[in-house]
Amino acid sequence: MLAAQFKFSRFPPGPSLFALEVSLQVPAGITILFGPSGAGKSTLLDCLAGLQTPQQGRISINEHVLFDGPTRLNLPPQARRVAYVFQTLALFPHLTAEENVAYGLAGLPRDTRTARVREILQAFAVEKLRHRKPAEISGGERQRITLARSLVTQPRALLLDEPLIGLDAHTKSAVIDDLRAWNASRKIPILLVTHNREEVSALGEQVIALDHGQVVSEGTPLEVLETPRRRRLAQAAGFENFLRGTVADLREADGVMRVRLSDTACEIEVPLGYASAGDAVCVAVRAGDILLATHPPHSLSARNVIEGKITSLESQGTLVQARVSCAAGPSIEFLVHVTPGAVRELELAAGQRVWLVLKTHSCHLVEN
Amino acid sequence: MEALLLSLRLALCVSAILLVLGLPLARWLAFTHWRGKFLLEALVALPLVLPPTVLGFYVLLAMGPRGPLGKLWQLFFGHGLAFTFEGLVLASVLYSLPFAVQPLVASFESVDRKLLDASAILGATRWRTFWRVILPLSFPGVITAVVLSFAHTLGEFGVVLMVGGNLPGITRTVSIDIYDRVQALQYPEANRLALILLLFSFVTLSIVYAVNRRVAHDLAQRLWAPWAAK
Amino acid sequence: MTTTEKTPGRRESKVQLRLAVRIVVLILIAMGLTHEACAQELRVAAASDLQFAMPELAAQFEKQSSVRLNVTYGSSGNFFSQIQSGAPFDLFFSADVEYPHRLVSSGIAEPDTLFQYALGQIVIWVPANSSLAPERDNWKALVDPSVQKIAIANPEHAPYGRAAVAALKKAGLFDLVQPKLVYGENISQAAQFVQSGNAQAGILALSLALSPAMRDGKHWQIPSDLHPPIQQAAVVLKFAPDPHAARAFLEFLKTSSARATLSSFGFQIPNAPAVPATPAHH
Repeated sequence: MLAAQFKFSRFPPGPSLFALEVSLQVPAGITILFGPSGAGKSTLLDCLAGLQTPQQGRISINEHVLFDGPTRLNLPPQARRVAYVFQTLALFPHLTAEENVAYGLAGLPRDTRTARVREILQAFAVEKLRHRKPAEISGGERQRITLARSLVTQPRALLLDEPLIGLDAHTKSAVIDDLRAWNASRKIPILLVTHNREEVSALGEQVIALDHGQVVSEGTPLEVLETPRRRRLAQAAGFENFLRGTVADLREADGVMRVRLSDTACEIEVPLGYASAGDAVCVAVRAGDILLATHPPHSLSARNVIEGKITSLESQGTLVQARVSCAAGPSIEFLVHVTPGAVRELELAAGQRVWLVLKTHSCHLVEN
Repeated sequence: MEALLLSLRLALCVSAILLVLGLPLARWLAFTHWRGKFLLEALVALPLVLPPTVLGFYVLLAMGPRGPLGKLWQLFFGHGLAFTFEGLVLASVLYSLPFAVQPLVASFESVDRKLLDASAILGATRWRTFWRVILPLSFPGVITAVVLSFAHTLGEFGVVLMVGGNLPGITRTVSIDIYDRVQALQYPEANRLALILLLFSFVTLSIVYAVNRRVAHDLAQRLWAPWAAK
Repeated sequence: MTTTEKTPGRRESKVQLRLAVRIVVLILIAMGLTHEACAQELRVAAASDLQFAMPELAAQFEKQSSVRLNVTYGSSGNFFSQIQSGAPFDLFFSADVEYPHRLVSSGIAEPDTLFQYALGQIVIWVPANSSLAPERDNWKALVDPSVQKIAIANPEHAPYGRAAVAALKKAGLFDLVQPKLVYGENISQAAQFVQSGNAQAGILALSLALSPAMRDGKHWQIPSDLHPPIQQAAVVLKFAPDPHAARAFLEFLKTSSARATLSSFGFQIPNAPAVPATPAHH
């Protein structure tokens, strides 16, 4: 169990004023650290590894204390036995794969060293590359060798900073499978940083969400991704629409409340939240959760049907992004995703009158 | 010819000493964060802008019986430091210092910092990181530093003039010799010596640069890397 | 008027050209005028041992004529090479008569102006705080065990160096002290070696020993019959812009007041009764 609770601040002349204040526990197994860029994920890893020093707090792995503010204990990276795989991998370009992997085992006798290196290279299926230099190795194999280099030292914990960037889906899952297999016997805490939603869902482990230097939520991927607490996190989780409005009416019996958007007559029904009539709120809706109809729909279960006009259609590869302005309040614009097939069949075009359908539970209240 | 051999000896000694002194100094300059670092950088760069005669003058004073260097030397060796080969080596080391240190610093700074972090995380001490990661990856800089300090010392005149005393075989380097011949109106002699020096320098430098940087680099790594990986 | 009318741009550049030519002409005239003014200044190349006597002489000469002296000090050998390559001096004061001779024979100097202005004298000099006493022990001061290095000017090209070696040989000491000799590029550098303490003693020019910086040291004048005379000669250079003024200065040096000044700075005047070189106040 890796336990960390600390405060870290960086004042100018660094890039900008930045404050990280976290308290987290990482059990054995893979935990995801998720958040938008600038949230402090890399800095958090740096502090855990000993590359940066927090101002106060405590970091420990099981009974080994790595950093303790009150007693001024601060182990250097060399002494922490925390493995850290950077986004750029940082393989030594002048050494072969085998030499790279052997680098952390310098204190061991030659035979033990060679044996361990061979063993882990085999475990990660890169044994045949051992005499190649990093420049001659590509993609997923480099990731594997970097992992091998970090894990051969039998670390107490493993930190991974965006380890799957640039890999295709197949390679990603293969690398993660190898990692899981390795950890099945060792059972060390592994903290994996990503800003990619799909990876969070696919890896399916515990997630810690970080934003603006603070932990904003923890739990399963579903919990963290589906109910974002902060707007930035919501953006990272794939909400394209953020609608401001005021609470017009509360309907506790139905479990909903009505929100009037901006200063218009347009109203939508959203799940009941902790708000009172007259409060300013922000509602987040995914572009993919909005349906488009060319004729006014009826007898639908959806509670929100909004008349509007298509202002633009933009093709984005496999989908089309439509901007629809609200008839009741033209200043409000919705972003809607539709398939190219739908555009063809419905003969959608700019200027066309359409009706938007939003399910109540597709609308999420987020903090401003 | 004696003068040329003396100059070569001087250049070799100075390059070797500057390598030994320059590596730790350059390492400190490249990787330490100290608010006062700029002062040390300026100090190291001083011989670049200082006229050699000024440097030579102060070195001469420092080597004198009242100067710090002179007193120390007298204590150990019982005679003065000026007019000796060792005195020339000392003065030349000071004068060629930036030519060795600056290429080293530039080279060290160009090493990816993440590699140094990775090395630390894998348990390597700062010393080991320097020898096994920084140095092998900075080999072109090391070569440049050695070549520059060698070439610079070979052509040195002003400082040697100030502290040498022009003793044949001891402090009469080839540059002083040429100057003397000109002064004594022995132009053919002066010409011959100058030509030999010019050709020698040109050939040496050409060899160093012609041996393709890449080739030297690869060769060095091939020799170094197995040892570095241990 | 003509078939092709000049475009406004071309007309403008013609005007600019004429303006540029006018400015250049004005500059040239100004230069010529200042050149005229410069002609009243004599450029003198002087051996370094004259650096104390020359300002005094120049001041005296400037008072009685309207000519200013612009003096550069250095080693005679250096000046010789520079003058041979066309350095623009009017007068050359050399510590060694050999150089003016050569300049005359190569046609760069006016033969009839060759003038031996002084005979150099050499001394053994030690700093004031030295334990040695050359004024009492004469040559013996050099063989004292505390003397590790003796500075002289380089005999290969400096006349004071040659004289020092000749005197040492005549005194039978050369083989003994030769391992201790260090060579300065010129007599001033030799003096520098002794003053800084790196050499414990030196054979220097008397004119330097009497200079303000070294006056407080101890010295003994080596008898001049022990070495060939250090003939110091001056000459007017052929391409001097104002040979008249140059000759006038040389004439001034032959006057008794100039000679008295020179001898007070430690130069023996040839063709004159031997003037005691050691000034009374020492």
